[in-house]
Amino acid sequence: MWAKSQAVALGDFEQLVLLGVLRLGTDAYGAAIRQEIHARSGRDISINAVYTTLERLETKGLLRSWVGEPTAQRGGRRRKFYALRPAGETALRQAYRAFTAMAGGFEARLEVK
Amino acid sequence: MNPPRLAVWLLTYRLRAEWREFVIGDLEEEFHARAVASPSAARRWFWRQTIRCLARSLPRTPQQPTPGDPIVQTFLSDLRYSARTLLRAPSFALAVIAVLALGIGANAAIFSIVNAVLLRPLPFDEPDRIVRIFHVPPQSTFPGITRFSVSPANFYDWQRAAHSFDSMVLFRGRQFALTGSGSAERVAAGAVGAEFFQVAHAQPALGRVFLPEEDSPGRGRVVVLSDKFWRSHFGAAPDIVGRTLTLDGEAYSIIGVMPARFSAKAWAVTDRDLWVPLAYTDERRAVRDNHNDAVAARLKPGVTLAQAQSEMDAISQRLEREYPQANTGWGATIVPLQELIVGDIRTTLVMLLAAVALVLLIACANVGNLLFARGLGRRKELAIRSALGAGRGRVFQQLLTEALVLATAGGAAGLLFARACLAASATLLADQVPRAEEISIDGRVLLFVAGASIAAAILAGALPALRAGRTGLNDALKEGGRSEGAVGIRTRRLLIVCEVALSVVLLMAAGVMLRSLSALRNVDAGFDPHNVLTLQVQLPVMRYKTAAMATAFFDNALGRIRALPGVEAAAAIDNLPVQGGSVQPIVHEGKAELLPRDQPTVAVRKITPGYLKTMRVQIIRGRDVADTDTEVMLVSRGAARLLWGDADPIGRRVTLPLQSKTVLKQVIGIVGDVKQGDLSEPPMATVYEYTHERDWRALVIAARTSVPPASVAQAATAALHAIDPEQPVQNVRTMDDVLDQTLTSQRFSAMVLGLFASLALTLASVGIYSVLSYIVRGRSREIGIRTALGARTGDVLRMVIAEGMTPTLVGIAGGAVAALASARLLEKLVFGVSAADPLTLGAVAGTLAFVALIASVVPAYRAARVDPLNALRDE
Repeated sequence: MWAKSQAVALGDFEQLVLLGVLRLGTDAYGAAIRQEIHARSGRDISINAVYTTLERLETKGLLRSWVGEPTAQRGGRRRKFYALRPAGETALRQAYRAFTAMAGGFEARLEVK
Repeated sequence: MNPPRLAVWLLTYRLRAEWREFVIGDLEEEFHARAVASPSAARRWFWRQTIRCLARSLPRTPQQPTPGDPIVQTFLSDLRYSARTLLRAPSFALAVIAVLALGIGANAAIFSIVNAVLLRPLPFDEPDRIVRIFHVPPQSTFPGITRFSVSPANFYDWQRAAHSFDSMVLFRGRQFALTGSGSAERVAAGAVGAEFFQVAHAQPALGRVFLPEEDSPGRGRVVVLSDKFWRSHFGAAPDIVGRTLTLDGEAYSIIGVMPARFSAKAWAVTDRDLWVPLAYTDERRAVRDNHNDAVAARLKPGVTLAQAQSEMDAISQRLEREYPQANTGWGATIVPLQELIVGDIRTTLVMLLAAVALVLLIACANVGNLLFARGLGRRKELAIRSALGAGRGRVFQQLLTEALVLATAGGAAGLLFARACLAASATLLADQVPRAEEISIDGRVLLFVAGASIAAAILAGALPALRAGRTGLNDALKEGGRSEGAVGIRTRRLLIVCEVALSVVLLMAAGVMLRSLSALRNVDAGFDPHNVLTLQVQLPVMRYKTAAMATAFFDNALGRIRALPGVEAAAAIDNLPVQGGSVQPIVHEGKAELLPRDQPTVAVRKITPGYLKTMRVQIIRGRDVADTDTEVMLVSRGAARLLWGDADPIGRRVTLPLQSKTVLKQVIGIVGDVKQGDLSEPPMATVYEYTHERDWRALVIAARTSVPPASVAQAATAALHAIDPEQPVQNVRTMDDVLDQTLTSQRFSAMVLGLFASLALTLASVGIYSVLSYIVRGRSREIGIRTALGARTGDVLRMVIAEGMTPTLVGIAGGAVAALASARLLEKLVFGVSAADPLTLGAVAGTLAFVALIASVVPAYRAARVDPLNALRDE
């Protein structure tokens, strides 16, 4: 595959999750990512799907994670935070580049009115 | 406010350990944020997320081979796979679950009733040892009557002689007027021998029960209260024992209170406000030829019914020899209490259980159809599975597991449905079946539902699973090629045939019951029940001490009621038609009374002048009784024929020896036959007596009205209270209601069967519709070619409709045979119409054919509009 030599190719959903992590900065954990995606893209995905993707991205070496402190809001449970590794940024950049390259010239047509 | 605990538990249980904390934490956090706006929406959201998590986590979690039985493992993995595939086709799953829920739910509801009425023991200690004992009257004079009340002298002889029983008791129902606290109130009492509470094996909650010596007239002024009465009238006062109660103007001393569980509606004498000793005088105890009381007994441990019966037979024979004048031809029969309570309803319930099982079969046929269609849609998937090495048995097992998952869900939903149905019909059921208050969903019902669900899964799932497992690999994998319309049509046609046949049986049963009900309702009872109001009045002896006082009350009451606007006529009788009443031997003037076996008996009614006019009973010859008459009698046409044959009865004189052996009553008229008992029985020979010097205290006043009778009820009651404000008036109802109440069990059967039949009709028509739609879809190419080759719309319509009607007609024919074969089960329950009534069968067949036609028209119309170009381009 052509993509293998440069960076890992990303699925559509993986892109959304990575962008969510990017937007949230140091506050990127499951529920926040889910809400961010819902708020911005309108896709109401299950928390389970978010975690499945996060785990896959971590295995691919695109994300790193750490565990926070327990809070009362969560019934005394801890949060698991995620942040982009350099490889994640590269992959995202690659995907963005591919998308804009392919969409170039059609901005007016593809723009959601 | 916390997230739903069950959901959290499910998540904890299902989620992978390394995620659990974070996922649940995330959900809970968002839940709290959402709960601020709307807690209920937040809960719904939480559940939706949970379900999505559970559904998703199943396939994504790599399955570790768990140690254990390989069969169980296969089953579990089939279960998981089924749950997953069904979640992916929610509308299919919902349709199947809904149909099964209806079928299983209806079964669960009927079984709950059967369980409470027939299977669960009565709420007494060792209830199977409690029996009732009846007289068996001589069949020559009481044809068809096998259980008769008991006379006191015979009872006391039984009690002394019989050794099969721990205890035996004489009892009767009794009404009292309760006074002393404002307006008078009617209370229902049981007048019972002292052994009554021993027979029931019951202990009082407070105080004590009757002593043997209190069952005598001098000492009988004691009363035991029911729990209900104690609470409603004394606020459950703990110091109740020793207080007094004024019943019919006499003071009774309260000696005890029974616990609530002692009162069982099923055994009427325990479901009373209070109990007093029977307290018969020695004179009353010696009465042998007047049979008015009830007997209950408790069998000794180890004594069988047959042993007790043969002992009673021997005693009866001895009593016949000793007292031939009173006892010739009178035997005794022992009936278990349970049998007595449920005996009449058993046939009805068994019939309903059979009917509801048919509903489930139809539901299964429908679900089978749906599963079949789905199996065909999944041919490719199944073919791939078998290409990868799944044997036919394996595929069969997988599909059956899927059916099981659906049936379990359907069973659970059905259980909820049954609960809702039973709750909604609780008041209705209370009037229709004994022990209705005990109907509930218990372990046995749950077990039944589990069994029904498994049976449904096998019935509905086996055929489609077998058929699907047989799919040829090549055919299935071929894209396009031969149209799928040709596959499995025969199986589905067979399902339609079954559905229609079962529907015929159900519709037939419902139709026959409805016709029977209408026949009963329209039967000529010998009088005109419309526009008649009835009121029951029982004057207590303590307040109306003389016959003159009682007579004056009724004369006054009838005068006032006749004067009310809207009332055309009014009169009184001791027992209304269809309500039963006194049956007595009757003796011609100058003849000696024969042995009971040979002496003719007639129904005897006491009437006041104007009764015939009020009820519109026909006067065939002679005249009505009049105020001035003394000791006169009217005879029904049947009584005239029984007593005098073709001779003219008018002017003849007779005695009613149970009342007086000397008073001669003269016949002054012949009147039409009136049904005194069941509407389904022929009218009984009846005499109506009247005398000016009467001492009648318990009468029912009947008023014929020119306006709706219920509108006069209040004025009529007020008229009675104007004479005596303390006198209770009971059972104020129209004569139509009186008739209706005798038909409750028929109406119940007809209604439930009607419900089942309409359910069956709906399911069958949906089944025909779905199969035909499927066939049309599958054959659209063929239809297109036909149209292209010149077939006209009419031809296509005819072809598709024939496709639907052929299995329907085969089903109707098969169903007709089955309905006629099962008619015997219904024969006992219907009146005035044969259970194999050809007219009803014709109507049923017509209805089904019509419904099938309607269900065929839409797919046929769709087929006729197939555009040949489109149909062919699809390929």
